[in-house]
Amino acid sequence: MKRTVLDYALKIRLPLTLFVVAVSVILTFYFSRAERDSVGYNPEQPIKFSHKLHAGQMAIDCQYCHIGVAKDRHAILPSVNICMNCHTVSRKDRPEIIKLTQFYTTGKPIPWKRIHKVPEYAYFNHSVHINKGIDCASCHGDVKQMDLVSQVKPFTMTACLDCHRNSQAQLPYLKTVRNGPENCWACHR
Amino acid sequence: MMSDFQKSSNKLWKSLKDYNEDPEVLKAKTNEFLEGVTDDFDSSKLSGLSRRKFLALLSASAALTATACTNYRDKGEIIPYNKKPEDVMPGIANYYASTCNGCSQSCGILVKTREGRPIKIDGNPDHPTSKGKICAKGQASILNLYDPERLTDPLVLRKKTDWKSVDSDIISALNNSQSSGKEIAIVTGEITSPTTKKVLDDFIAKYPNTKIYSYSLINDQQRRDAWMDSYGSDEYPAIKWNDSDVILALDADFLGNEGSYIENMRKHALRRETNGKIDFNRLYVAEGRMSVTGMLADYRFRISPDTQYEFVMALINELSSHGSSIVLDSNAKSKFGKYSLAKFESLIGKDNLNHLINDLNKNRGKSIVYAGDTFPKEVHVAVNLLNEVLGNTSLYDYTNSFKSLVKHSSAEEISQLVDSMNKGKVGTVIHFDSNPVFTLPDDFGYASALKKVTLVVSLSETENESSAAGNYSLPINNQLESWGDAYVRGGVYSLQQPVIAPIFDSRQKEAILLTWIAGNSSAFNEDIYHNCLMNSFNTDVYSKANTFADAKSFWNSALNDGVVNITEKVLSVKFNIAAFNNLNDLTSSKDFTIHLHNNYFIGDGKFANNGWLQEIPHPVSRVTWDNYAAVSPSTAKNLNVDNSDLLHIKVGNRNLTLPAFVQPGLADKLISIELGYGRTVIGEVGKEVGFNAVTLMSKNVQPSPFIFSDASVSKAGGKHELVSTQEQHALDDTFVKDFHRIRRIIQEGTVLKYIKEPNFLHEEKEKLFSITNEVKYTGNKWAMAIDLNKCTNCQVCVASCNVENNIAVVGKEQVSKGRVMQWIRLDRYYSGTPDEPIASNQPMLCQHCDNAPCENVCPVNATNHSPDGLNQMVYNRCVGTRYCSNNCPYKVRRFNFFNYRDDFADSYYENDLTALVNNPEVTVRSRGVMEKCSFCIQRIMEARSDAIRDNRPLKGSDVVTACQQACPTEAITFGDANDPTSPVAKLRDHNLSYHVLEELNVKPNVTYIAKLRNTHSEEIL
Repeated sequence: MKRTVLDYALKIRLPLTLFVVAVSVILTFYFSRAERDSVGYNPEQPIKFSHKLHAGQMAIDCQYCHIGVAKDRHAILPSVNICMNCHTVSRKDRPEIIKLTQFYTTGKPIPWKRIHKVPEYAYFNHSVHINKGIDCASCHGDVKQMDLVSQVKPFTMTACLDCHRNSQAQLPYLKTVRNGPENCWACHR
Repeated sequence: MMSDFQKSSNKLWKSLKDYNEDPEVLKAKTNEFLEGVTDDFDSSKLSGLSRRKFLALLSASAALTATACTNYRDKGEIIPYNKKPEDVMPGIANYYASTCNGCSQSCGILVKTREGRPIKIDGNPDHPTSKGKICAKGQASILNLYDPERLTDPLVLRKKTDWKSVDSDIISALNNSQSSGKEIAIVTGEITSPTTKKVLDDFIAKYPNTKIYSYSLINDQQRRDAWMDSYGSDEYPAIKWNDSDVILALDADFLGNEGSYIENMRKHALRRETNGKIDFNRLYVAEGRMSVTGMLADYRFRISPDTQYEFVMALINELSSHGSSIVLDSNAKSKFGKYSLAKFESLIGKDNLNHLINDLNKNRGKSIVYAGDTFPKEVHVAVNLLNEVLGNTSLYDYTNSFKSLVKHSSAEEISQLVDSMNKGKVGTVIHFDSNPVFTLPDDFGYASALKKVTLVVSLSETENESSAAGNYSLPINNQLESWGDAYVRGGVYSLQQPVIAPIFDSRQKEAILLTWIAGNSSAFNEDIYHNCLMNSFNTDVYSKANTFADAKSFWNSALNDGVVNITEKVLSVKFNIAAFNNLNDLTSSKDFTIHLHNNYFIGDGKFANNGWLQEIPHPVSRVTWDNYAAVSPSTAKNLNVDNSDLLHIKVGNRNLTLPAFVQPGLADKLISIELGYGRTVIGEVGKEVGFNAVTLMSKNVQPSPFIFSDASVSKAGGKHELVSTQEQHALDDTFVKDFHRIRRIIQEGTVLKYIKEPNFLHEEKEKLFSITNEVKYTGNKWAMAIDLNKCTNCQVCVASCNVENNIAVVGKEQVSKGRVMQWIRLDRYYSGTPDEPIASNQPMLCQHCDNAPCENVCPVNATNHSPDGLNQMVYNRCVGTRYCSNNCPYKVRRFNFFNYRDDFADSYYENDLTALVNNPEVTVRSRGVMEKCSFCIQRIMEARSDAIRDNRPLKGSDVVTACQQACPTEAITFGDANDPTSPVAKLRDHNLSYHVLEELNVKPNVTYIAKLRNTHSEEIL
């Protein structure tokens, strides 16, 4: 039987093309996972604030600035007046602090770039997690070592459920922690 | 008649069509959706976008998406405060005590704000009369703050202008009026604020030609006049309803919409308690219309309002023959001696009449007779005497009496004003937050006289009929943007504080007057009225308060509480028998009687532009978005009209054509119509909704402006479709009515029966078995109990739920298709006969069944069960098959056939302003998803988070649902069924508890407490 071009196309060309497409889709899906989940996202901020300096070297407690985290859904970014508690006196001559002071005196809020985000239809509550003794670093990574904050873990529903289902394994430093709720209305309503 | 009786005795009917077993209705009952609900979309009404244009848009948006994706990781910005206010935490609500301006009752309110914007209004628990509860109007009035059609800027002849030029123009005009000797008329509604009154007095001092006219459509002037005559003071007492063993209400909707009805409901419900000893009061209602109070009555007599005078007189005659607590002179005796109860014996039945007489006679001093606000002074005076005869005055409570700051203007005074206006003697008319063009009867000629006045200034939140007839429309602050105070009840001084800065360029209405008093447009500043209020508070309240606190602290603590209890001398009065002897005898009507009365939800038309309120079904008829002429079934037959047929009503030379509604239980030859509808100059929502019954009113109608005798009524031809939620969601009881065990949706008993056999409800209870394994609930299990003895059908729960859960307004057309979105509804069933129906009410909401039938049929698991016993609904999963709704035996699931914010009146409620009313803790649902009651999951989660913060277990009492919080009678209990000490667990084991459609074994978690009727019989029918 004579082999036609069609045979070649159907038997070799097509499967090969499909294979290459499938492999590249799977590989792209797999390798871009972190990228798509925003892991490693570290945008430039309007003021070069360093967590490494403040929270790491100087060991200021997270809650000195993020005042809502233990009593509120939101951790709350500090308002400029909290920065000015120290910076009315300290390091007034540095260019970033001059920028900060300008924000403060003109009454303009600082447009910080958002790094961590759960979708609007998930009603995440910081205070519940903090009051259970979960360390900030368990989700946000070791911010104390970051000059420029970047996202280190994915903020997907899978990531939430990983911990809610295996709390003991995920949070070994909490001896008595029980699994978190898994029902829909725990987060969505 | 006998066959009718038998037919009805074993079934409940929701409407007359239902009673007569109309095949359409029977068919509808077996269907999940009304005819038309699932119809295809009308292509002509769909968007005009062509296929070509659609493809073009599609490619354009794809291109845009591609561009946007270049920075797909960008998540926007977080912008914190620059200087954070100390008491504002993003994500945590703040509460402020204030006072409601919705009507003249001035209830205390607690406003919930999030990030500085008000999102919910509830009652202020510290308020001595309303005690933490407010009505549906108060609940929904938050929408008025975000009404997209509020006046945004001062207007002169409909053109935008600025306050400075307005002020200087008006001040010079006022000075002109003053110097040329012309009158300045301020037309206001009822004044409830002592400081506003002071401002008005100051205005008179500055411009002595000023006269104040106070007029409101819905008023209690007849009652005040009667008290003036009987007791020498127009201040009338509150009633100790909770101490009354027998109540006879004469066309008085004191549990529905009259007077301080929220307070009345609470006190009445104290005597409907089924926990512990049964100590029920007995409620007799004699009325022509069918009111909420009538539906709750133990005995209801159909007595037309025009014969009530005779009825009261006959009662006095009968009861005084058994003795009297007041000395009756011969004049009085001859006055009531003419009347006898014989006439009423056939009307209400000999037995019933004897029960009434015996009960009133036996409970002297512990019974109360109460006449409605719409009745003429004569009836009120006679009722006052009847209470004196029975010694019931001990139930009068003068410590919380109803005060009046500015007397209601009489018809003569207003006629004089119109006369002066016509003669050019009035230079300026100021509408001080009032709408006289709409509320005054046409024959005053007010609207035409207004054209002869050169300067007409309207101070108003929105354009209305009166502002449209004038030259200046000045925007005023909403109640949530205002300072204020109120003194309407003895011993109670309440304060109002702004909870948000004015959204538009509006001003406090008193501040506008203060600027004009100062005579200089630059006198205005933001604090001008605030300071005035504080001064007034210091002189009137602080100086008299026996306190060690300094003025500032006292003021701050008063603002914090929202109310100050003041001690004052309690009025002591004596009945003046001459008032009774001088009464003009009233005669009954020979032809039709017309009875105009207050509506339930839109006030005097003030709330007509509030979609939430227009869409709450009428408590009796379930009609939404309309008013109508209610007629009795037999009168309807005589007139040959059915629902929605137009009726022509003629009283003297005044006419009105409006649709008829056949209302079971109405007195024959009576037309009952609600006032406040038919606004013409108003926003998109309220425009021409219903019919304006003020056109039937007249300045000359005696004795009562609301009741007309000898009217002629005829069928007008034509129809105006009334939309009622009544036949929708009909619970399926026809199928099983022949089963050996009748499927009881409403279960009731009488007090006598219950005392004799406390367990009568559960005698024939069968053991239900399940074919699936039972799920064990450990930890919390949420459950609700609703006491039908206390539920008055007021619909406050519906309003509260609407606001809390971002429920959409769908509009009349969509309601007619059965697409109303309210998560909780009140079902009303009738039993008995159409002429003498017995009404039963039942709040119906998602029952959160343990074996929920909706969950099994969802193909995508969008509805499922939580470990704490909740039936969860996940919008993101829902694909809109509507199987769940189809399989729900309670018909409580609601489907978003449209994006209703977008669909309703061309995106009326989809704008930046109205979006601010939404509760940020609840998702705003979009088209194509199912939704339903969530037991206020956002409140459960908030309580849970607080419990975790405080390191304690979550208790049932930590959670209060929106409906429960709002319920004026505390009929709703919510909590943890697994906690045996919790109130809800106890109610689940109550002798009177039952579940609706229990035999389905879906195990609902809403328990109903069966209603007991306090009659003299063991049987209901």
